[in-house]
Amino acid sequence: MAPRRGTTRRRFLQTSALAVAGLGLPRAVAAAALDLKLKKPIKIGCQSILSGPLGGYGEFMRKGAALAMDEINAQGGIGGSPIELNFRDEELKVDVGVKNARYFVEDWGADFLIGIDSSAVALAVGEIMPSLNRVLIVTHGATEKFNEDLVFKRHVRQCFRVCVPVYQDGIASALVAKDLPVKRWATISPDYEYGHTSWKMFRAYLKRFKPDVEFVGESFAKFGTVDFSSHISKVMGLNPEGIFSTEWGGEAVTMVKQAKLFKVFEQTKAFMIGMGSAMDVLQGLGADYPDGVWASGRYYFGYPDSPENKRFNDAFKKRWNTYPSYPSETAYTALFALKKAVEKARSIETEKVIAALEGLELDRPAGKCVIRKEDHQAVYAVPWGQIKHDAKFPMPTLANLKVFPTDEYYRKPPFAPVEG
Amino acid sequence: MLFQGLVGLSEAMYLWLVAAGLSLIFGVMRVLNFAHGSLYMLGAYFAWVAFRISGSFWVALVVGPLLVAAAGWVLEFGFLRLILDDAVKLAFGPVYQSPPTPAALSGAVRIGRSILPTYHLFILAVGGLVGLGLWFLLEKTSFGLIVRATAADREMARALGVRSSRLFTGVFVLGAWLAGLGGALSMPVRAISPGMGEFIIIEAFVVVVLGGLGSLRGAFLGAVLIGLLHAYGLLFMPVFELALAYMAMAAVLIVRPWGLFGVREA
Repeated sequence: MAPRRGTTRRRFLQTSALAVAGLGLPRAVAAAALDLKLKKPIKIGCQSILSGPLGGYGEFMRKGAALAMDEINAQGGIGGSPIELNFRDEELKVDVGVKNARYFVEDWGADFLIGIDSSAVALAVGEIMPSLNRVLIVTHGATEKFNEDLVFKRHVRQCFRVCVPVYQDGIASALVAKDLPVKRWATISPDYEYGHTSWKMFRAYLKRFKPDVEFVGESFAKFGTVDFSSHISKVMGLNPEGIFSTEWGGEAVTMVKQAKLFKVFEQTKAFMIGMGSAMDVLQGLGADYPDGVWASGRYYFGYPDSPENKRFNDAFKKRWNTYPSYPSETAYTALFALKKAVEKARSIETEKVIAALEGLELDRPAGKCVIRKEDHQAVYAVPWGQIKHDAKFPMPTLANLKVFPTDEYYRKPPFAPVEG
Repeated sequence: MLFQGLVGLSEAMYLWLVAAGLSLIFGVMRVLNFAHGSLYMLGAYFAWVAFRISGSFWVALVVGPLLVAAAGWVLEFGFLRLILDDAVKLAFGPVYQSPPTPAALSGAVRIGRSILPTYHLFILAVGGLVGLGLWFLLEKTSFGLIVRATAADREMARALGVRSSRLFTGVFVLGAWLAGLGGALSMPVRAISPGMGEFIIIEAFVVVVLGGLGSLRGAFLGAVLIGLLHAYGLLFMPVFELALAYMAMAAVLIVRPWGLFGVREA
């Protein structure tokens, strides 16, 4: 419960930290020039998956958001007000996600909402944003229905997203796959919105790029799958040459380990995992991650080679003693996008912040990025690459990076239906 | 085809180990041990720690479940209960752990056109051996006699001089060891994370209810049935695969509310 009166210990610590930081940082003085005189902290409700077998994943989102909060508050906050974060576990459940969003806005007094890992939760929370009337910035839920249907077609303007959608998993992957010596593809993917929509896109676009491919089978694993053996044996029974997967978190770790036992990597020519370069998967598999697996994410710590990215990596490692995963970057970016938009709008009013976010350009760790006005989708390029074990790093990394111009794989308004 | 069943069976063995302990504890103590999934998780974590210290999977496989049995002994006294997941998260962090599969078990055998990992054969063997061992323990030893007598009629057993508190501890520790063994076996082939017990416990409950609360034979056949339904369900009715286990449970409960091998309550 947030105490309501007087100076609490936390507020005292925050303000003293601010004061101390202000002494050494000329930037803080510059930022302090804009004072919205809100006389209250700007409250941001964050939700992600923080429990269960995928909980390691949400932890990275929390770390990225916390780092951004420290940096923003050290720079004088947003428009003169420090920011305050509140984290809740989304559990990847629609009802929990909606309840969290309502709690944040109606009970806790959130000014903005960020986070959400599940596509289904992102869509459900998106539905209630007009009634809550706050800006929501999604940092992971990746379904194209969020930007294409909810924002572009149905004009739910409170919804934004700073992570690349399934275009990365379903279309950029097809750009990689078209040059691979594989004709027969199969999938092992999650049995929910994200898994189905990525596979559908992959098939539709790969067929367009390379008409002689075949899709020989699919096995969809429910959320909470602890053993992939029967999925693997089912799919391998269809004799595929390549496996496409959008398993993530601990489930991706288990799937790869078991696929290794079944000698899948010896029997196929390519294995692609859309979220395979997420730090929790790289660290979780460690030496067990087979060389040559194609992996991507929504940001990869080694790309791009820019001062912003280097600074982010250094700060993250210093703060948390680990390399950042992509939800760390997207949560970090969401908070800095809010800072930039509020200071541009000179207001925290939803309508004005929406207008400021539309078309906003950001120099984020993941690279240059623009938030499209039409569908409120951040556009930036994320690499695909092949798993490699490099003694310089404590975990496997990506080699042979393939980065495609965003024009080639971000679907554009008016969003023609995905055929296939 | 047959191969898919074999793979399903090997998945069923983890479930069997967890369900066996759950059923055993219920049979004697008449409590549903909701912490049982956490004991499975502890088995994986303790085995992982033992593996990191010793470097040997085999040492880990012996030590891990024994430590869980010890934890079970403490649990039975009422400490720790329900905070296990949080404790594990604090102690080991939320990061996934996955030690490598032991070299001796990371091979595979060819069956027709398919490839079955040696580890899966190993799991089948361990599951079968544990089944035989439990059968021997319950049917051929005096401990088993007492367990069966208590399960059948607690008041009568007590009247005849069975010291139920010691028996309860023994049964709970055995049940915890079984869950710990399941967890330890999963250590090198499944991602270890806090909360990994959440999903196996739900299936284990289905298995135990299906097989009959308190019946080990029921737990074994229940686990096999769920494993096969899952494996073949994926092959033939992937859309309904998830529902099959619950449909099977509902069907059995309609005909035999006490489960396949359970005892009808008087």
